[in-house]
Amino acid sequence: MSQFIQQVILGLLLGGVYVAVALGFSLVWGILNIVNLAHGALVIVGAYITWALFTRWHIDPFLSLPVDALALFVIGYGLQRGVINRIIRAPLLFTFLLTFGINLIIVSLLLLIFTADFRSVTPSYSGNGLHLGNVTIPYIRLGGLAVALLLAGALWAILNRSRIGAAILAVGADRDAAQLVGVDLRHMYALTFGIGAAFAGVAGGIISTFQSITPTAGNPYTLQAFAVVILGGLGRVSATVAGGLAFGLIEILAQSAPGLESGYANAIAFVVLVIVLVVRPRGLLGRLA
Amino acid sequence: MIAREERVPRSLRRFAVPLGIILLAIAILVPLTSTDAAQQAGLPLLADKLWFRIATTVAMFVVMASAWNIIGGLTGYASFGNVAFFGLGAYTVGVLVSNRGWPFPLALIVAPLTATLFALIVGIPLLRLRGHYFAVATLGVGVAVGEVVNNLEPLGASTGLFLPIVRSDLLFFYLMLGAAALAVLSTWFILRTRFGYGLLAIRENEEAATVIGVNTTLYKVAAFCIAAALTGLAGGIFAQWNSFINQENVFAISDNVQMILMAVVGGAGTVLGPVAGAIALELIIQTLAGGGSAAVYAQIGLGVLLAVCVIFIPRGVIDFFGGQSRLSLRYLRQTLRETSA
Repeated sequence: MSQFIQQVILGLLLGGVYVAVALGFSLVWGILNIVNLAHGALVIVGAYITWALFTRWHIDPFLSLPVDALALFVIGYGLQRGVINRIIRAPLLFTFLLTFGINLIIVSLLLLIFTADFRSVTPSYSGNGLHLGNVTIPYIRLGGLAVALLLAGALWAILNRSRIGAAILAVGADRDAAQLVGVDLRHMYALTFGIGAAFAGVAGGIISTFQSITPTAGNPYTLQAFAVVILGGLGRVSATVAGGLAFGLIEILAQSAPGLESGYANAIAFVVLVIVLVVRPRGLLGRLA
Repeated sequence: MIAREERVPRSLRRFAVPLGIILLAIAILVPLTSTDAAQQAGLPLLADKLWFRIATTVAMFVVMASAWNIIGGLTGYASFGNVAFFGLGAYTVGVLVSNRGWPFPLALIVAPLTATLFALIVGIPLLRLRGHYFAVATLGVGVAVGEVVNNLEPLGASTGLFLPIVRSDLLFFYLMLGAAALAVLSTWFILRTRFGYGLLAIRENEEAATVIGVNTTLYKVAAFCIAAALTGLAGGIFAQWNSFINQENVFAISDNVQMILMAVVGGAGTVLGPVAGAIALELIIQTLAGGGSAAVYAQIGLGVLLAVCVIFIPRGVIDFFGGQSRLSLRYLRQTLRETSA
C-alpha cells in the first residue's frame, strides 16, 4: 500500500514538471495556433542559465528562476517579432517546420556553447526529503511542484485579471476583431510567445535541479507538452494542470504496473493519449472548439 | 498566366519530367556501378561504396517523402506516424527472412501488405481527427509501435534483428530506385483520377467535399493505406539492404520529420516537389554528416535554410520549375506579404 502511495506521489511530482513545461506551450498553441517544436529547446536554455548561475556564483536554483523567466521572455519576444510573425498566417505545417528549424539552431548553439557534457545542479539539500512513514518526498521535487502550481496561478491571473490578458484572449478568439478594437497584433503575438517562453525558462530551471541536462535533453519535453495539452484540453489553465498531473500519474503508474516492464511507459502514455483523442477530442477539461 | 500554361500540355510535362529525372539518374549512375570492374581495370573509383549508400538513401527518402505527400500534401493530413509503416515493413521482412527463413523477394511482397493492414486499422479512428490533433495522434502511434516492437522477444527486443547479408550494392540501389519510381508514378496517376480530385477537395474543404458527394472517410483511409504500402515497401528493402534493424534505425521519429521537411521544402501537393526536396535535403544532410564542430555549424546552417525556405518560398522550390513562377525579389516580397502578421 505504501508502495502505491509512494508511486502516486512520485506521479504527481512528475506531473508538476509536466504542468510547468506545458503551460507556455499551451498558451502559444491556444492563442497563436502555433505548435512550438522549439519549446523543449527553450526549456533547456532556462536550465542552462540556472546551471551557469549556480556553478559561477552559487546562486540557489530556485532564486535564479526569475532570471530564467526574464531572459527567455526577451528571447521569445524577439523570436516571434522578428521571425515567426512572418508566417503567422500560413498553414499550420509551416509554423511547425519553422519552429523545428529554430529548435535545430538553438540546440546546435547550446552544443557550441556548453558542449554535450552532462551538467547538473546540486544544491546542498538535493538529497534530502520529507519522510512520512515509508513514503519519501524529495524536497527539490516538492519545490518544483509548488513552483509549477504558482506558475499556473500566475498565468490564470495574467489572462483573466489583467488588461494585457484580455488583449491576449481577444487575439486568441478573433484576430481581426481584436485588431479592429485597437489591439496591436504584432506586439501581442510577440508578447504571448514571450510569456510562453518565460514559462518554459522557469520549467527548465526546475528541471535542472533533478536531471542532468544536455543540449538535446529538451526534445522529449516538447513531445510531453504536446501530450499534456491534448490530454487536458486546449484553452484553459486548469485543463493544463489536470492534464499534466494526469500524464505524470499515468507514466509512473504504468511503469510500476505488474507484468509490464518500464520499457512500455511511453507506449502506454501515448495509447492513453490516442484513446482520449478519439473518444474525447477536447481533452479532460477542454472547451469545445 | 493561364495562356502560358496551356501552350505546353500540362500532362505531358508532368509525365516527362519525372521520367527524365529517373532516366538521368540511371544514366549517371550506371557507368559508375561496376565497382569491381573499375577496380580490376585500375580506374579511379568514381563510385565507391559510400556513394552507393548515399544514392540508395536518397532514393529511399524519395519514396518516403512521396508517400507522405499522398496523405500529407494531397489530402492535407500531416501524418507524424508514417515512420511506423517503414518500421513495420522492415520488421516484416526481418522476421520472415531471419526467423522463418523465407526468401527475401517473397518477404518483400508481404511487407507493404502488413503496413497497409496496420494503416487500415489505425486510420479509420485516427482520420476522424484533424490538424494538430491528427498530427499528435499519429505521432503517438509511431512512438508506441516502436516501443512495443522494442519490447517483444520474438522480434529481437532491444537487440534488434540480423538478416543474412546480401552483398550487392547494385541490387538494392535498383530496388530503391524502382520503389521511388513507383511512388512518383502513383502520385502522378492519383492526381489524374477522380480519387485524386477527391483528395484535393478534402484538403481544401472537407465539409464541402462531403456535400458534393465525396466519400471522405473512404478516400482518406485509401490515401493513408497507399502511403503506408509505399513506405512499408521502402522499409522492407531497407531491412535486407542494411541487414540489421532495431527500433532506433527503423522507427526514428526524426526520419518522419525529415520526410515532411523534404516534401514541404520541395513543394507539398505536387508530383515532383518531394523528389526535389528529398534529393536536395538528403545530399545536404549526407555532406554534413562528418564529425566534429563542423557538423554543428552544418546543423545551424540546415536550420537557417529551413527557416528561410519556409518563410520565403512556402510553395516549395518546385514552384520555380515548369514556368509557374520565377525566383525574383517580387516573388519573395509577395509570399511574405501573404503570410506575415
